[in-house]
Amino acid sequence: MNDKVFHKVGRRPWEWRGKPDGDTERRRRRVPGTKRHWLKWRDVHNDKSLTRERVLADKMPLWWTLGLGAVVLVTPFLSNTMIGVVTIFCIYAAINVLWTLIVGTAGIFSLATLAVVGAAGYVAAACNVYLGVPWPLMFLIGPLTGLVFGAILAAPSTRLDGLYYALLTMGVAEICRVFILQLRALTASGGAITNVDGFIPEDWFLQRPGLLLGFAGAFVLLLGALLVWRLVNSERLGMLLRVARASREDEAFAEAVGIDFRRARLMVFLISSAALGAVGAFYAMYFGSISPQIFSLDTMLLLFAMMVIGGLGRAEGAVLGAAIVTFIDKGLIELGPPRIILVALCMIGVTIFAREGLTGARAQFRDFRNRKSGEARARRTEKGGEAMPEEATEVHDKQELYYRRFNKRLRDRLKQLITPDLIAEHKKDPLGHHSDGLARVLNYFRRGEMADKYVIHRMKPAEERFRIMAISGERGRPPRVVDDREYTDIKEAYHAVFLLRVNDLMES
Amino acid sequence: MTDARLFGYADPLCAQAGKSVDFMVSAEGTTEVKAELVRLVHGDFNPDGPGFIEELVATDIPTTLPVTRQYTQNGSFARVEDPDGQLAPDGAFTVFAFIWPSMPQGRRSVILSRWSVNDSRGYALGITPEGKLEFWVGDGKEVDQVTADAPLVPKVWVLACASFDPATGEARLRQIDVQNAWNSHIGPVTPYDHNAHVVETLRCKPERADAPFLIAGAHEENPERGTFVSLHFNGKLDRSGLIGRALSANEMAALASDEAPHDPVAYWDTTAGYTDTGIGNVIQDTGPRGLHAVGVNRPVRAMTGWNWQGRDDSFRLNPAQYGGVAYHDDALTDCGWTPTLKWTPPDDLRSGVYALKVSAGEAVDRIPVIIRPDKPRAKIAVLMSTFTYLAYANEHLSFEAAIAQAIVAHTPVISGDDLEYNKLQEFGLSTYDHHTDGAGVCYSSWKRPIINIRPGYRMAGMNFPWALPADLSLLWWLEHAGYDYDLITDHDLDREGADALRPYKAVLNCTHPEYYSEGMLDATETYLCEGGRIMYLGGNGYYWVTATCPDDPACIEVRKLDSGSRAWQAEPGEGYLASTGERSGLWRNRGRAPQKLVGLGFTTEGMDRSEPFERMPDSFHKRVAWIFDGIGDEELIGDFGLALGGAAGVELDRYDLALGTPPHTQLLAASINHTDNYPLVSEEITYAFPGRGGSQDPQVRGDMIYFTTPNNGAVFAAGSIAWSQALPCHGGENNVAIIMRNLIDAFQKDGALPGSAYTGDEKHWR
Repeated sequence: MNDKVFHKVGRRPWEWRGKPDGDTERRRRRVPGTKRHWLKWRDVHNDKSLTRERVLADKMPLWWTLGLGAVVLVTPFLSNTMIGVVTIFCIYAAINVLWTLIVGTAGIFSLATLAVVGAAGYVAAACNVYLGVPWPLMFLIGPLTGLVFGAILAAPSTRLDGLYYALLTMGVAEICRVFILQLRALTASGGAITNVDGFIPEDWFLQRPGLLLGFAGAFVLLLGALLVWRLVNSERLGMLLRVARASREDEAFAEAVGIDFRRARLMVFLISSAALGAVGAFYAMYFGSISPQIFSLDTMLLLFAMMVIGGLGRAEGAVLGAAIVTFIDKGLIELGPPRIILVALCMIGVTIFAREGLTGARAQFRDFRNRKSGEARARRTEKGGEAMPEEATEVHDKQELYYRRFNKRLRDRLKQLITPDLIAEHKKDPLGHHSDGLARVLNYFRRGEMADKYVIHRMKPAEERFRIMAISGERGRPPRVVDDREYTDIKEAYHAVFLLRVNDLMES
Repeated sequence: MTDARLFGYADPLCAQAGKSVDFMVSAEGTTEVKAELVRLVHGDFNPDGPGFIEELVATDIPTTLPVTRQYTQNGSFARVEDPDGQLAPDGAFTVFAFIWPSMPQGRRSVILSRWSVNDSRGYALGITPEGKLEFWVGDGKEVDQVTADAPLVPKVWVLACASFDPATGEARLRQIDVQNAWNSHIGPVTPYDHNAHVVETLRCKPERADAPFLIAGAHEENPERGTFVSLHFNGKLDRSGLIGRALSANEMAALASDEAPHDPVAYWDTTAGYTDTGIGNVIQDTGPRGLHAVGVNRPVRAMTGWNWQGRDDSFRLNPAQYGGVAYHDDALTDCGWTPTLKWTPPDDLRSGVYALKVSAGEAVDRIPVIIRPDKPRAKIAVLMSTFTYLAYANEHLSFEAAIAQAIVAHTPVISGDDLEYNKLQEFGLSTYDHHTDGAGVCYSSWKRPIINIRPGYRMAGMNFPWALPADLSLLWWLEHAGYDYDLITDHDLDREGADALRPYKAVLNCTHPEYYSEGMLDATETYLCEGGRIMYLGGNGYYWVTATCPDDPACIEVRKLDSGSRAWQAEPGEGYLASTGERSGLWRNRGRAPQKLVGLGFTTEGMDRSEPFERMPDSFHKRVAWIFDGIGDEELIGDFGLALGGAAGVELDRYDLALGTPPHTQLLAASINHTDNYPLVSEEITYAFPGRGGSQDPQVRGDMIYFTTPNNGAVFAAGSIAWSQALPCHGGENNVAIIMRNLIDAFQKDGALPGSAYTGDEKHWR
C-alpha cells in the first residue's frame, strides 16, 4: 500500500511571464467605449520565489486572434473551392454563434434558427428580385424580417418549455419549407429565388475576386455575430441571465426581487433573431439565390452537429464546431456520402468522450488529472499519515507537514495504550487523578484541532440531558449533532465522548 | 410564541439606588414582552446547593413593555459626518493612507470612502476580494475603477494613494513600499515587490454620495435597518488625508518619505493629540477645516505605525512612530440600542444583583444589573468583579480555542443559549478571543447583551458557573448566614478610589477579581493601611493591568503580553493602554505583584477537580487560631463544593516571600493532592523542565493566609476560585462557612482584632 517512493517534484514554468516593476508607471488602455482592457494582464506573486510575475489571466482573446488571423491569412492562398468552403464556414459559424446566444444565454431551446435565416433571406431576395429593391437595402429588410419572425416565435416560448418548444420550432421550419415549395410562383425553380443581386459584382460571380470578396464579407459577418455575442453577454442583459441560469430553481425568487429575466430572455431572442435576419440577407446575396433547402431538417441537424462537437453555449465552441463540420461536409466532398457518416461519428465520439464538446476538453482534462492525482495520492499515503512531496507542494504552512508526521507517530504509540483497563479507568472517573497512560491519551484528544472537536450539548437548561455534538471550527457556523443518543448523567456523556475519540484514534 | 428571541442589556451595569438605569431590549417574533424585576439570590442549579433562586420584587415597572428588533453595528471604523460635502470635491483630488491590511483577500474592504454602497455613488479607496488595492468612483449609474497590478501582502505597511482628475478622467493609483525591518509581519528579506503604479482613464465621475466620510468602512442603507456601515477593513491604518488636486507621481512618493502633505483638504494625523495619559477616540484632522474623525466601536489606538523603528516600545516615547490604528470587522463596544425601559431604583432598595426578567411565551431573558445602595448601609461590602465580568463577556473559548479543552481538561458542555449566541455572532467578543484576523481583543464593554452574566449560566468550557453567576453563591450564603452587606463594583472602586471602601469594616472579594486598574490597587492599599479588612476569597486576583476608557467607563481595556495565562499576545510595541498610557500585562511585571497587597498570587489553574484545604501548623497560633474555632485539627476543609467538588480549585494562589508576601503572613492552610492538569503557571517558569504539574510540583497548591495591616487592618485570603462555591453545600452549614463566620464576626467589630495581642517571643518547652 505505501511503497514510499519519493518522487522529485517541481516544474519549470511553460508559459511566458512578464517581470513587471511595480515602481514604473503603467498606463492601462481600454477598448474604446468600454471599461474593458485590451488584454487581461494580472500580476501575481509566485509562491515559490515571491517575485512578481505578469500573467495573461484570460487567454481567449489570444486564441481568437490567432484563430481568426490564421483564417484571414491563409484563405487568399487556397483553391477556389476551398475559399468557398471557408466562406460557408464563416456563415455557418455566424449562425451558430447567434444560435448559441439563443440556446446558451437566453436558455430558449429553439430549432427554428435556420427558419429565421431562411425567412429573412426569402423576403429580402423577393424584395430584390420582384420589387427591384436595391441590394444594400436587403441588409435592412433581412433584420426587420428576422425581428418580426423572431417576435412571432418568441410568443410561445413563454408558454412552452424545453422539448415542446423545440418540437414546435421544428414544425415552424417545416411549415416554411412546405409553404415555399407550394408557392405557385416559385414552382418552376423548385421553390428557389434566383438571380438575387448582391455585393459581388455580377462578372466576378464564381470568379476568384468574387470568391475572395464573398469570403471577406462572410468574415465580417462572423465578426459581427461575435460582436453581438460579446455585447449581449458582457452587458447587463447577459449578466442578468447568467445569474438567473446559475440558480434556475430560483427563477421565481429572481422575479420576486425584481429581476425581470423573462423579459431579458425575450430581448436576447429578438436581438439574435434580427442578427440572424441579417445573415439570411447575406446568404441570399452571397449565393445569388435561396432555396427551400435552408429550411430542411438535415441542414438544421448539420448545424446542431456543429454545436454539439464544438461545445454548447460557448462562442468558441460554435466556431470550432462549424470549422470541423464544414470542412468534413464541404471540404471532403469527394468522399461522397460517407462524410455524413463521419460527421455523425465525430458527434457520437465527442458526446461519449467529452463532457462539453471540444472546447470543454481542457477543463475536462484538468478534472481528469486531478482525479488521477487524487487516486495516486490515496494509494501512496495513508489517511492522516505523512504527506508525500507532491502533496507537500500544496501545504502552505510547512509546519503542518511536521505535525502530520509527529501526530501519526504519536497516534501509533497511543494506540498501544488503549486497553479495556484504560477505558474502565476513564469510565470510573472521567475527571480525576488518572494513570500516566490515560493522561497521555486524554491530553492528545484535548489538544486536537477545533474542527470536528466533540462537545456535549445540555439539551434543556438546568436539566441533566445531554447529547454529543461536533464543533464546526468556523465562526458563526453551528456545531453538528453527532448521533441521536442521549445521556442523563454528565459522567456518561464525558465517557461517550471519550469512546468516540478512542474510536477515531483506532480507526486513524 | 416559541419563536420569539429576546436579548438585552442594562446601562449602567453598575447602578445605584436612586439613580436611573436604562434597559435595552431587542425582540424578534414579538412586539411586547412581560416585564418583572427579580432579585437574583442564587444562580447555579447544582443539586448540591440551594438551586436557582430568584425573588420577585414589587416595583413600578410596567408589566408589559413594547419591544422592537434592534440592530447592532459590528465592526470598528471612524466617521466624519461632513454634511456640507467638504470631503466630496468637485474638482481633482487625491486620497492617501498608510495601510497594513491584515486580511486583504476574501472580501471587498474599504480604507477611505465617501461612498454609498446601495447608490453606487461617490468614491472610495479600498481592497478588492482578490486583495488588490483599488480606487473606484460612481455616479449612481455606473462604477469605474483603477486597480493595482499585484495583490497586497498581509501585514506589510504600504502607502496607498489615488488621485483623480474629472476634467481628463485620469486616475492614478500608487502603492508604495514603506516596509522596514521592524514595522511589518515579515522582513525585507522577502523578494516581494510591494509597489504598484497604474494610470487609467475612467468613464465616470464621482457624484456626491448621501453618506458620511468613513475611515475603514463604507456607508450602506436598507429599509429595514436604516443606515449602517459595511465593507469593514481589517488591519491598521496610519495617517491619511484628502488633497484638493491630483498629485503627481513624485508628489505621491514624497508622502511616502514622511512629508506631511501641503495644503490638504483634510489630514487625519493619527498621532495628533496624544498625551502622556492616553489617547482619545477622535482622530484629529490637522488640516484647515478640522474635520475630525470619531471612532465607532473603538478602533485600537497606540499601535505601531508605518514608520516604527522598534527602539521605542510605547507611544509615549515617540508618538510620531505610533500612528497605527487597528480596525476590526467584528469589534463591538456599544450596541447603541434605544432604551426600552428607563427605571430608577427606589432609594431604599436593598443592595443586590437584580435582573429585568423579560418574557414572551417560552422565551425569557434576565438582564442583570448590580445595584449598590444609595448610601453605605451595611458593615461589610462585597466587591463585585465587574472588570472580570467584562473581560470574559461572551467568550468564545469552547468554540474557537483549540487548546481550551487541554487547559480545562474537560469536554465543554454547551447550552442552547451558547448555540444561539455563537450562531448570531452579533454581540461581540471577550478579551479571551481573537478578531477575524487573529489579533487579540483588548476592549470589552457592558453595552451589549452578555450571555455569561446571566444568573444560571455555566461556562461552557468547564460546566460550572464562572464570575457573576458563581459570585451569587457568596451572596446567597451571606444572606443565609444573616449578614447584611452592600454591593460595590470594580467600576465604583476605580472611579471613587478608597472612598468607596472606607465606609465598610470589611470588604469581601468575589471568586475571580482578576482585572484591576492602578486606582483600584491604590485604593485597596490605602484602605488596608487605614485599618480596613479585606477578605480575598478568590483565585488569580489583582492580575491584569486594566483600565476603563476615560470617555466611556462601560468599556475596559487590557493588553495581554509578556507572561501569564494569556489568551493572546500583544504585538511588539503594542503593550501600552491607549486609555491611560500605562504598560499593560501582569501587575507583577510592573512591581505590583498581588502578593504585596493580599499576600497571595496566581500559581496554578486546572478544571478537572477541586481539592480540600488542609490546616498548616501556623493555624494553631493564637494570633489566628480563632479563625478555626469549630474546626478539627486535621479536618479537611472544603472537601465539597459546587465548583468541581472542592473548596480549593479552578485557579489557585500561592504565598511567596520572594514575590512580596508580607513577611509576618501566616500560612493557615494549603490545598493538597492536585492532578497534573494543574500545572505551574507560565509566569513562574524561567527554565522549562518536566514535572511542573500538581503531582510533582510543590508550588501547585492553593494557600490560605492571614496577616495584619496598620491600624487594626487585616487580610484573610483563601486563594481559590472554588472557595465561595463551597459555601452553599450542606445547606450552607459546613466548615468553609464556619471559617467565614469566624472571620466576618471578628472583622465587623471595631478595634483590635482577636489574637492581635499574641506578639510575644515564642518560648516553647516542647
